[in-house]
Amino acid sequence: MMNLTCSDRERIFEDGTPAEWAALEAHASGCPACAEELRAWKSLSVVAQELREHTESPALWGRIESALAEEDARNAGRAQRRRWFSFLQNIPLGWQTIAAGALVLVLTISAGWIYIHPLDRGSDGDKSLLRSAALKNVESAEAAYIQAIDKLASEASSQLDNPATPLLANYHEKLMLLDSAIAELRAQAGLNPSNAQLRYQLLAMYQEKQRALEEVLEVKQR
Amino acid sequence: MGTMGLALPWEARIPSAARERGTRVEPSEHLAGGPNPAAMDPTTEDAALAAGCLSGDLRAYERLYGMHGARMKNLARNLLGNPMDAEDAVQETFLKVQRSIAGFRGQSSFVTWTYRILINTCYDARRSRLRKKEIANDDSSESPRPEPRASVAHPSLRMALERALASLTRHQRDVFLLYEVQGFRHAEIAGMLEITETASKNTLFQAKKNLRQLLEPPRSSSAEAR
Repeated sequence: MMNLTCSDRERIFEDGTPAEWAALEAHASGCPACAEELRAWKSLSVVAQELREHTESPALWGRIESALAEEDARNAGRAQRRRWFSFLQNIPLGWQTIAAGALVLVLTISAGWIYIHPLDRGSDGDKSLLRSAALKNVESAEAAYIQAIDKLASEASSQLDNPATPLLANYHEKLMLLDSAIAELRAQAGLNPSNAQLRYQLLAMYQEKQRALEEVLEVKQR
Repeated sequence: MGTMGLALPWEARIPSAARERGTRVEPSEHLAGGPNPAAMDPTTEDAALAAGCLSGDLRAYERLYGMHGARMKNLARNLLGNPMDAEDAVQETFLKVQRSIAGFRGQSSFVTWTYRILINTCYDARRSRLRKKEIANDDSSESPRPEPRASVAHPSLRMALERALASLTRHQRDVFLLYEVQGFRHAEIAGMLEITETASKNTLFQAKKNLRQLLEPPRSSSAEAR
């Protein structure tokens, strides 16, 4: 048995070998101070057991299992997405650089083209819009005008359907010719709606018809 | 020489069978899952667990939980102070193991590595909880607030120890809990806390010295009692 003194006690508490601990126990049997220190030191280890509480938690494993499975599914999704780009790994870095450079070049040229050309395309587009808007205005005005003339024609229809005088019979014949010409011009304008010349001729025909109807109504008033 | 102000007589506190320096039960004796039915070599078992978890086998995680779940929860409980937070920490630890198992290089054992993650997770949880509660007091920010436990033999003794533990430094508390409560060896603790084995021994010595002072009644009252 090795010999110990009280001064060895703390060193053994910190890092003593089993043999040194046995020697300390032997020493403590004849040394009240070391016996008390040894008892107090060991009692800490016993008290520590009060904090040990290894209770089973069956529900906890269920929670953990679900969380692990969810994480696994998320990882599988991420791996799937990575596989889409996995072909890049087989292409040498030099080729990848060239491809990236070519892509940048194409994008730069495209951007330059778009920057230069939008003014021309924009002005064409604007003209086209204006033309469409002008045509729409003409057509709506024409429709209103035709409606007004038709209203005039309905007022004069009683005299024209059964002309009482040779003058009214002439107006009747003139209006029939005008209607025929108007129908022909409208058919041509339908085929070529942006032809301004046809529109002017059509307008002249309507104005002529309007004058003829007004004269018929004047005859009626007399 | 003063005595520790503990409620139990000496005979009750130190079982005769445990009159060895540690009086502690060695880890293999108190694993939550009891004795290993397969009686596999610990190193092989550890490697098998690591390989199973690496391959994403849920049964390996279940085995890890079966072997260490209760002990992990107990350690988390002692670090965090309540069982709910402890369970969250254990769950988070398993998720972190799953996320980072590919980076496990085997420099320590797989179980040691898992406990290291658990300890860090507990301290992260404590920091997060303290931020939320905006506790300004340094003392309370350093120590967990233990909740009553279901059943303990000596509640006053345990409460006194918990209060005393709260006054220790983080490292002292960690080493004391890992060695004296959870029953790990210094070599394992060194791996978990990334310190040397000597530092672990020294820290435990300092922790116990401080605990003795904290648990010892004032000398005057002790003298009067005599």
